[in-house]
Order: sequence, then structure tokens, then C-alpha cells
Amino acid sequence: MDFLTIPAVPEPLTFEQTEAMAQRQIKKHHVAIILLHWFNATVWLTELATGAALISSPHFRIAPLWYIAIVQGFFGSRAHMLWFHIAVGITWICVFAVYGTFGFRTYLAREVLEREIALDWDDFVWLIVRTLRILGKSDDPLPPQGIYNAGQKLFALMVYAMIPIVMLTGVVMAFHLGGTTLVAWAVVLHFVAVGMVFSGLMIHVYMGAVFPEEKAAFFSMITGMVNELYAYRHHFKWWKEVKMQEREWKQEIEGSGGKVGPDGGNAPTPATGGSAEDTTTRKGGTGGIFRRIFRKPEYWPPYVAGVGLGITLLMTFILMGQGLGASGGFTRYLVALLSWVAPDYVARNPYWSEYAQPGQSPLMSFLVFELIGVVAGGFVSGWLAHRLRISVDKGPRISARSRYVLALVGGVLTGYGARLARGCTSGLALSGGAVLSAGAWAFMMAVFAAGFIGAYFVRRSWI
Amino acid sequence: MSAPFFPMFSQTMYVIVSLLLGFFFGFFLERAGFSSAKKLTAQFYFKDFSVLKVMFTAIVVTMLGVAYLAAAGWLDMSQVYVPLTFLWPQIAGGLLLGAGFIIGGY
Repeated sequence: MDFLTIPAVPEPLTFEQTEAMAQRQIKKHHVAIILLHWFNATVWLTELATGAALISSPHFRIAPLWYIAIVQGFFGSRAHMLWFHIAVGITWICVFAVYGTFGFRTYLAREVLEREIALDWDDFVWLIVRTLRILGKSDDPLPPQGIYNAGQKLFALMVYAMIPIVMLTGVVMAFHLGGTTLVAWAVVLHFVAVGMVFSGLMIHVYMGAVFPEEKAAFFSMITGMVNELYAYRHHFKWWKEVKMQEREWKQEIEGSGGKVGPDGGNAPTPATGGSAEDTTTRKGGTGGIFRRIFRKPEYWPPYVAGVGLGITLLMTFILMGQGLGASGGFTRYLVALLSWVAPDYVARNPYWSEYAQPGQSPLMSFLVFELIGVVAGGFVSGWLAHRLRISVDKGPRISARSRYVLALVGGVLTGYGARLARGCTSGLALSGGAVLSAGAWAFMMAVFAAGFIGAYFVRRSWI
Repeated sequence: MSAPFFPMFSQTMYVIVSLLLGFFFGFFLERAGFSSAKKLTAQFYFKDFSVLKVMFTAIVVTMLGVAYLAAAGWLDMSQVYVPLTFLWPQIAGGLLLGAGFIIGGY
């Protein structure tokens, strides 16, 4: 091993070290990433080529007429070209959906969130120094960088922000989802988002394919490997990470105390138990932002969850013109069932018939679909936090059987009360309260009053 | 073009948006711990006030958002459904629901 201790900051290398490091290869990209990269590159190439030829309106046209004629001729007609553009786009979305679903943990959470877009302080300094150096105003050394440098991170950040827009607007345009206004907006957004990515893409391609210093980065996208010297000089923090990991493995295999330490490793290494603990904590540390936020079994702080819930509710008002709810949705499911079994009864009943207008399904309503989403969202959240289990939630002094009976009684009261008040805690108290409905606030007070009073009588159920 | 946007949605779009909003609703409710009956009822024994905190934080965020958007003219309040007030039925319903809440654990 050429380094007795791993340096904390890049140090000048001896000639032997340079020679040795230039020979040694370390792995930078997983084969799945490489495949995805070239798939992505192909998609962008074909989509940009056909997309440019598709813009025929004289106001927006960016490609010369002869280019449009050539590409159109290649496909036979404009309709074929459009069909091809859409087909490639949908394939692209599908591949990303599959990749995002199955590779979520390994690639998206780890690769993207932590390594590709998380800018740290060194990165900001890097961006400033780099700009000054390009302008010839500074000779300061660049701060050490992780596996991706700050410029790459900025590019990634923009691409990740724009890609969903490109995908969504593309789908809206292709299938004419929504009205004419929405499609018109989608067209503009599609151009703008692609334009942003394209401007970054120019630099990306120049850096990868032309810029001599980054030759190693280009070849790493084919072989997956870079030589150590390049890693040391361009991505020092990542190089250090790799080296530390190598030492840990070595140590685990040899079982003897080596020199591990983030700041030079002069501290005596604790026994194997200690180092194993170190490894796990470090893994927890790099396991990251995503894990800390979504995978921990503890609930979120109430104010954080409250803001999330508030934003969802606000978006519901903006998009749907009504609040979130629950009991109204259940009512509609019931009416649908009833009008299937006994349509005459429903038609004669003044309450049910309000929901079952002729020619319109009682199920064609926001709340009906929202409830399906609620089940899915709650499930996903619980699943991520390892909270999924079947259990009877009760205090220690009551049997599960009594809880079932009480739950049924409580459910009947809740259901009746909710429909009497024209809403439940979600639909009336939360949504109505937010738009200052007087009845909603009266309802909320009543709920809490009854809850606090009733709590005394059923204390055996809960405490 | 001002919000609410639902009149512009096609039927498919309407369903997709509804499902998505519901997804986030369920997600944040579970994140807050509303899937646990014990946590929900703990506030009535003065043990854990997260339900109140979550609910009122959400109400305040939405209230401010709606107020600002309406004041700026981006949200057409005449198109937004505000629950009607029927005072006595709503108080009675609230009492029943509150009793059911604590008995059944919601």
C-alpha cells in the first residue's frame, strides 16, 4: 500500500505514487448506470433530432427548412415522425419508471440524492473558484470534490428538475389530456424545459467528449473504471471514501488493527467490535438523507407533517376547488352499491337520490378516487417506515374482543355524526376550517368537547 | 386563467389528480401517526398533542395559502366549495362524532 495513512486533504504525490496510481483502476459506475446513460443519450439524440423537425410553426421553428424536409423524408410523413417521437418518449418514460421502481434504493436514493445533487459547502467554493479561474482572476486550488464535482451536480440538479416536466408535458401533448389551454401551456413548458436541458447538455457533451482533462470520465462511462490518479486529482473526497472502505474490508479480513481514521489515522484502533460498530454507523451515515427522512420508524415531527398536510390541502383547493374528505367518499360508495341492488329505493329516498343523479355515476367524484389514493399513500408511508403490521391498538386493560365491539359502536356514532354534520374531521373540520366555514369551527369544538368528556368514561380502552 | 383548475381537466386527468392528492393525504396522515388509534386518542388524556398540532398546522398553512391566492386574484373563491353552516346539526353531529371518536378510536 502506497499510503500509510490516508491524507485528509490532497497532498503532493511522489513520482512512484503517481506511477502506481495511474496504473490502478477503481470502479466508478455500475453497469446498470452505464447502460442507462447510453440509453438516455440515444433517446435524447433521437428526440432532439425529431423534435426539432416537428416544430413547423414559423414562430417557434428552430431548425432550417431543409433539415425538416430531410428528417420528414426519412420517416415518410410528419405523422410518422410524430408517432416515432411519441413512441420513443413513452419508452423512455417506461424505462425510467421501471428503473425508478426497482432500482429506487440502490440507484435513485443513493446515487442521485446523495452523490449527484447534494451540494455541500466545498461545492459552492468550487463553483466560485472555478469561475474565477476560467476568467483568469484566481490561482487558488479547487476544493476537493466528491464522486461528482459541483458543476456536474448543478447540471444533474437542473436535469432532474426538468425531466419530470418534459415527461409530463409530453404526455399531456401526446394524449391531449385536459383542455386546449392546458395543452397550449404544455407545449411552451416542453420547449422551455428541453431548452434548459439542452443548454446544459452542450457543456456536458463538450466536457465528456472533447475536454482533455476529463478523458477518464468519458471512458469510465464505457468501462465503469477510472484510474486512481484521476480520482485523486479530480474527485479527492470520493477517492478517500473508496480508500477508507478498502482498508475496512482489509481489516475485517485480516482481523488486525490497521490505520483507520478520517484525519490521518494516528488514533489507536479499537478492538474488532468497535470497528464493526464504526462500519455500521458509517453505513448509516452514507445510507443517507432518504433513509433518515423516510425509513425511520419514528413518526415525523407534528409540525413537519402538518405543513405537508397543509400543502396537500392547499393544492386540493387550487386543483379541485374543494377540500379533502373521507365520509363523503364512503357515502358515494354506499350509494353506488345501493343503486345497484335497489335503484328504486335510492331514487325515492331524498338523501340518497341527491348523489345518484340520472345519467351520472355516483362514483364519478373527487372523493371516491381520493380515498383510493389515501389507502395507497398510507400504505406506502407505513411500508417505508417499517410500520406495516396487523394489530389491535388498545390499552393494556382491555381485551381485543371488547375493543372490536367498542370500535363498531364508535364507528356507528362517528358515521352518523359525520353525515348529520355534512362532513367528518377531514371534510368539515380540516377543509372547512381552513376556508373559515363557521359551521366547521362549531363542529370542531363539539368534536373536541365530546372527546375530552367521553375520554373519562372509556379510559380503560386506552390507558 | 385562475384556479381552481378542475373545469379544464379531462375525465382521465381528473381521476389521476384525485388519486395523487389522495396519495399525499394518506401519506402525510400516516407520517403524522394518524394510523394509530392510541396516538389519536392520547390527546384526550393530555398525553400526546400531535394530532392537534398537525391539524392546526395544516389548517393555518392552507388558510394562509388560500387567503393570499384569493387576494392576488389567482384563486376564484366563487368556484371553491366552502361547507355550508347548519349550526345545530353540526354541533350535534360533532358531539356524536367526538363520542364515537373516543369510543371507537376512529
